[in-house]
Amino acid sequence: MIFHSIRWRLQAWHGLILVVVLAGFGFTAYHVARDNQLRRIDQDLDQRLMALLRPHPPDRPPDRPPDWQHGGPGQRGGFPPNEPRNDRAFGSPDFLRHIREAVQQGGALDPSQTNIYYYIMWQQDGSILAHSPGAPEDVPAPDRPGPQALPARNALAKPTPPEGGPPMLPVVRARGQLRELFRFGPQGDCILVGRSMAPDLAAMRRLALWLVAAGTTVLLLGLAGGWWVATRAIRPLEAISATAVKIAGGDLAQRINAADTDSELGRLAGVLNSTFARLEAAFAQQAQFTSDASHELRTPVSVILTQTQTALSRERPSSEYREALEACERAARRMRNLTESLLQLARLDAGQEPMKRERFDLSRIARECVEMVRHLAAERSIRIQCDVPPTECLGDHDRISQVVTNLLTNAIYFNRDQGEVRLSARAEADAVFFAVADTGQGIPAGDIPHLFERFYRAEKSRSRIQGRNGLGLAICKAIIDAHGGSIEVSSQPGAGSTFTVRLLREQGPML
Amino acid sequence: MRVLVVEDEPDLLGSLMKALREDGYAVDGASDGDDGLYKAESYDYDAIVLDIMLPGIDGWELLRRLRKTKKTPVLVLTARDAVRDRVRGLDTGADDYLVKPFELLELLARLRALIRRSASQAQPRLEIGGVVIDTAARTVTCNGEAVTLTAREYALVEFVALHRGKVVTRTMLYEHLFDETDDTLSNLLDVHVSNIRKKLGHDFITTRRGHGYAIE
Repeated sequence: MIFHSIRWRLQAWHGLILVVVLAGFGFTAYHVARDNQLRRIDQDLDQRLMALLRPHPPDRPPDRPPDWQHGGPGQRGGFPPNEPRNDRAFGSPDFLRHIREAVQQGGALDPSQTNIYYYIMWQQDGSILAHSPGAPEDVPAPDRPGPQALPARNALAKPTPPEGGPPMLPVVRARGQLRELFRFGPQGDCILVGRSMAPDLAAMRRLALWLVAAGTTVLLLGLAGGWWVATRAIRPLEAISATAVKIAGGDLAQRINAADTDSELGRLAGVLNSTFARLEAAFAQQAQFTSDASHELRTPVSVILTQTQTALSRERPSSEYREALEACERAARRMRNLTESLLQLARLDAGQEPMKRERFDLSRIARECVEMVRHLAAERSIRIQCDVPPTECLGDHDRISQVVTNLLTNAIYFNRDQGEVRLSARAEADAVFFAVADTGQGIPAGDIPHLFERFYRAEKSRSRIQGRNGLGLAICKAIIDAHGGSIEVSSQPGAGSTFTVRLLREQGPML
Repeated sequence: MRVLVVEDEPDLLGSLMKALREDGYAVDGASDGDDGLYKAESYDYDAIVLDIMLPGIDGWELLRRLRKTKKTPVLVLTARDAVRDRVRGLDTGADDYLVKPFELLELLARLRALIRRSASQAQPRLEIGGVVIDTAARTVTCNGEAVTLTAREYALVEFVALHRGKVVTRTMLYEHLFDETDDTLSNLLDVHVSNIRKKLGHDFITTRRGHGYAIE
């Protein structure tokens, strides 16, 4: 399933994160913009309201600049002073008249803005004192805010209450598309400035649309970038996977081309490559073993085939049949010997030949084995010297006998005529060392590491004549390994070789 | 025809030599590489059957050294059947390749083909006047009638026929018809030739006095 691929999953997560981030950003941006806009509107409304409360310019000499305490350049005379001027008392008939006039004239409105802004003033009994020309008819009178009423926007001007009256806090309310700001006077009269927010709301919608459009574009770009990055990140993985497929298909020589060995994937490729190398070596070893085994079996089979085919090709005297049968028997014995060795190795490999744990005397085994090979040694006038003191060992008596016999026959086969074979043993605290030394030609140093490999022959095919199948030392090693011991060889070219077996005396890790 | 068998397994060497002798060849045997190379370089064998896994120098090395001096056809006999072994064998100079275990009849047939090819003879049938020699069946007919020849006589006829038009010296005949174990007196060759003339006609083999024999 393609949607389960790493690339698609990466892409899905990437897209999800992008959507969340973009949505969060857009939402925040929209709200910040909206808040700013509302604050600006509220400030604007409050400025206009405060401008109403300000005395009229005709009351002041025109050449004098307004004596505001602060405020900057702004629309229509700038920001008003923080508090209305007290030259006419708030709520006095004079002041009310001034306000009414101001409101009816549209306050500080441009004529062009009368359709946007409107002013309404209520008296304390709730009746409308005055309203600006374009004011809607149905504006409800605001409720006087309780002491807990929130100020409209914290950025708005906070006039100090005149003459200790209640604070004249600006209050804001929204009615549909209208936004209205009002302040109560100390006597309960109220001035309201309102405006339509339709153009602002339209601007908000445009902003929202713009944010959605920009967000979608960024999302698409991000997804495309993510796809590109994921593709690049996955490319080495695909190379690894392609190589692994080839290897699975049987081409064990394939390796991953890991140029960047410092990256995580490079290290992975390195680990995989070394695994593949070990696999290949193991397979090659296995193939070599099979090839060697079949090679060893083919020669005796050839003997039997040629002998029988020759014998049967015509009538012969019985002595010739006898010769042929004897040759066939020798070949069959060799095959039996080989198959038994192969089977024993297979059982040892699979751990199906458990070693017995019995106490035995190594010197007895040595004597028995020497007896068995004595005639072999006598044929070539080789002297066997058995120098093994009574030594108690723990292990499988029969298998250890097999090892000793094997080492002894090797020592005889590879000895010189009139040579010597010497058996010796010594016991240490935890182990018994048992050595078989010969006076043969020795083993070339290059052959020693391979000596215990299956079918390895130090001197190519020389030993085949002597009926050795090339598995003897491999079996010895397998048996000794199964005892938790070890077998080693040292050799002096021209002087002879010594095989040393180390057997544990006590409970070893018997396998 | 005289062949050399180089094989280190004594029972296989013995039965191969026996089978080849019974097929009319003069056969020498060698059981290691050094002996094999010495014999292969010393005599003009008509073919060599060569094992690869040998004590002393192995079959590859023997073949490589032999090819420096001799073109003797070599049939490699080995238990190694991997393609690269076969390729290597043929590339080193072997003329044919047979994997153990083999069928004796196939070995004999391949050997005949090798010898025929080395004599530049494509056909297994040789016709000389009214005499037809079938080298595959090892039979001779004279004017359509089967003629019974002894193995030696047949070998002599076949050898001289394969060298038709050339003079075959007595030395060549000794080298190719008798192996190292034959204790043959020189006049025995004359006895064989005389018998052949009785069976196939007096003019079948002509004597070049002081040189040897020839089939025109």
